[in-house]
Amino acid sequence: MTDYGHDLLFGAFITPAAQQARQVVDLAVTADRAGLDLVSFQDHPYQASYLDTSTLLAFAAARTERVHLNANVTSLPLRPPAVLARAAASLDILSGGRFELGIGAGAFWDGIAAMGGRRLSAAQGVTALREGIEIIREIWDTTAPGEVSYDGQYYSVKGARRGPRPAHDIPIWVGAYKPKMLALTGAVADGWLPSIEYLPRGADSLPELNARIDGAAHDAGRDPAAVRRLMNFMKVQLSSAPRGLLNGPPAAWVDQIVDLALRDGISAFIIGGDDPSITERFGAEIAPAVREVVERERKAGAAARPPRA
Amino acid sequence: MIMEIGIVLDASRLARAPLETVELARLAEERGLDLVVVADAATGTSAGLDPWTAAVWLAGSTRRIAIGAPAGATTAPDPTDPQAQYPSVIAKALDSIDLLAQGRIISDPAGWVVAPRDAKPAELARLAEADLPVVVPVDSREDVERLAALAAEGDHRSGVRRRSAAVRAQRKPGIDYDGVPASLADAAVEPGDPQYRSLSSTYLRGGAPGLVLRPSTPAEVSDAIEFARRHRHLPLGIRSAGHGISGRSTNRGGLVIDVGAMNTISVVDPVRRLVRIGPGATWKQVAEALTPHGWALGSGDYGGVGVGGLATAAGIGLLSRNHGLTIDHLRSVDLVLADGRQVRASREHNPELFWAVRGAGANFGIATSFEFEVDEVGEVGWAQLVLLSTDIEQSLRRFAELASSAPRDTTVFLVTGQPRAGTSTIQLFAVVDNPDPDTVVARLTPFLELGALAGQQVVMTPYSGVMGNAADVGPNGHQGFGEPNSRSAFLPTLTPEFARDAAAMLRSGGVYFFELRAMGGAIADVAPGEASFSHRTPAFQLTAMGQNNQRLNAVWEPLRQHFDGLYLSFETDRSPERLLDAFPAPVLERLRTLKHRYDPDNLFRDNFAIDPRTTKEAQA
Repeated sequence: MTDYGHDLLFGAFITPAAQQARQVVDLAVTADRAGLDLVSFQDHPYQASYLDTSTLLAFAAARTERVHLNANVTSLPLRPPAVLARAAASLDILSGGRFELGIGAGAFWDGIAAMGGRRLSAAQGVTALREGIEIIREIWDTTAPGEVSYDGQYYSVKGARRGPRPAHDIPIWVGAYKPKMLALTGAVADGWLPSIEYLPRGADSLPELNARIDGAAHDAGRDPAAVRRLMNFMKVQLSSAPRGLLNGPPAAWVDQIVDLALRDGISAFIIGGDDPSITERFGAEIAPAVREVVERERKAGAAARPPRA
Repeated sequence: MIMEIGIVLDASRLARAPLETVELARLAEERGLDLVVVADAATGTSAGLDPWTAAVWLAGSTRRIAIGAPAGATTAPDPTDPQAQYPSVIAKALDSIDLLAQGRIISDPAGWVVAPRDAKPAELARLAEADLPVVVPVDSREDVERLAALAAEGDHRSGVRRRSAAVRAQRKPGIDYDGVPASLADAAVEPGDPQYRSLSSTYLRGGAPGLVLRPSTPAEVSDAIEFARRHRHLPLGIRSAGHGISGRSTNRGGLVIDVGAMNTISVVDPVRRLVRIGPGATWKQVAEALTPHGWALGSGDYGGVGVGGLATAAGIGLLSRNHGLTIDHLRSVDLVLADGRQVRASREHNPELFWAVRGAGANFGIATSFEFEVDEVGEVGWAQLVLLSTDIEQSLRRFAELASSAPRDTTVFLVTGQPRAGTSTIQLFAVVDNPDPDTVVARLTPFLELGALAGQQVVMTPYSGVMGNAADVGPNGHQGFGEPNSRSAFLPTLTPEFARDAAAMLRSGGVYFFELRAMGGAIADVAPGEASFSHRTPAFQLTAMGQNNQRLNAVWEPLRQHFDGLYLSFETDRSPERLLDAFPAPVLERLRTLKHRYDPDNLFRDNFAIDPRTTKEAQA
């Protein structure tokens, strides 16, 4: 079994379309009112038709009350880590601890270079991300003595001010697919945040990818359960007949999500589609039903679902 | 005087007491103050809140009050410095907050004046003389209340709409914003206004005008022209629906007079089929309004185009071979001239001006109303065919023969681009003005030999069904960006040599859009001297668009030997010699004389401007 025992989270993956700025914020408010736990926006600063994700996160956070927010995921190459850490902590303070940090090594290097960013190879990007995460945690740690000095391969700084200190321990969730990134995730991250559509074999890839993260966590002397497993589902549909994963009637969604939670240890389910009515039903109808079943099965100790064939 | 007052919140106070500090901003908004600024005055070893994040949060937490959010670096950072931001990302953040908070952000720290914490009213008034909001650091609700009382005391605002400091901070230099005539003030749009983005760009061109004036009556057009005359140093664009290619109906930092609101369509005389149409109507709207009467007025080939620009150029369209040019139906036009006078031009009134407006109208005034005599047009055959050709040269030659020898009820336009793997995709757009479906099919069938048929849609429809192809422009307006590169020419005939050279041009990849519009028929029934558009006898009008202007010129130049003149509407080249292509020398001379009479200071110069001061000698 691979249920890591985390509370379940349900979220919305909202397209940050600049032409629909008002609707984007409205959808975040809808998710908040529907009782969802997360609102997230992708971060592609070189995509001209998108809003700036950091700005949108702060604005949407101010317009919502309970929902937590995260970038899904932050493009580190264009978000210098100390700046990112301070912005994240600031938003966490202002929102009363509602900010989480999704982060990735960067993709679409042509776009990054076009914005003036540094072009790195995949392997270099992994190391840069590891350094970035260390700097972010240093900046947040206001109890450590002195200023932050760091001498890395890709980032270095002498005497940066610490703080501000976040309102809560902001988890760092890493978008990862390839072995080196999964190893980094297991070694240092608080969560793994991929999209199901990008896994080589969809949900069937989960045992293998989870095992890589677990192995890396063990190697680093960590409990694999320290790494929450989150998942984006970009293409979802509510329909009368079951047609596929998160494409069918609500009851089928519930079965599929319960299965992913108890069998594959996924504990956060973030849906795309930008549809207010699906968002509402996800929060009001599907999430409570899933929680009920998972809680019951966890209590019954019935979590020993057989692994996927 | 008007004094705008705001508050300064300290970033480290925000870190220590976020909720109470944000409440101070909300209180300032409730009390009618004008601006909140976050200052990064943090000292010591621990940083205060990130000022940008805090400013955005404040913008999200309020609805009306302006937010001062100084943006960061403008130079390229060292990528190894984890504290150095990318200017490109900062620019994007600014653009985004402008969209999200709808123009409430002042990003330039020079957009406000900071007063000392204990400033007395007299000192605040003195600082306000810079016509900038004065902000005062505050720590408590009492501080905000005290400021609000001061502001209320000194408030002598009149009933005039006054824009916030955040909006005024985005004003462009050289424009007398506060001097906009009262008749236009309510509808005028400037860079900080919420509607600005929907009006700044046009169909094919990006822009950032300093002010868009939107008159809705001839008198208001006159006021707008008077205002434009006081800003002769700035570009001036005249816009009806924003499809202009040669006509620059947007610009950077200049003025735009947008007559889009003048879009009424009414029948004046049902017996003579006289119709009165405003310049801001689109041809889609015109076609829809005329269909119930069984009438149509030929336009171009796209329903989104506005009446004003096209009806003052020519109007070579899908009904032209049977019904002539759009200008051939014009009976009179009401204009506002450069001196602000409202005049009518027709055969009886100001006939010289009437001649000039039909071809070079953009040089002479702003049309406020057109009277057209329209034709009875029933259902037409409307065909959109896609054909694949492996020999574009041969296809062009054959198209020319078929399109020119077709009966005049048949008007066919050909569009193609660069061949891919040796195969050209040809699109044909054809109207057969004949209610009999069999005749329509018979007229179109010969064209099928131009290539292998890959797609076809043929319907019987009123002309409104043809113009209905245009997408409606939504609340976000046009989304053009950059500058279009377009060349235009008339072909007296389409020769085999032209077909050969055009095929070479298409293969070069320098042209992504290539259109041949068949002319002839009723167009040539009218004498060349009837209107300043004098190109009555060409067989085709050619348009070519390219991504890169230099490359486009390089591949276009070898074709020039085949041309005789150009249709100005599709030409973006502003070289002086293009004027002589648009207007043959005697026509140009006559226009210049009239330009000297009607617009001696060359106020109207956004579309093939004829400089009244240039003499024949100076050109030689």
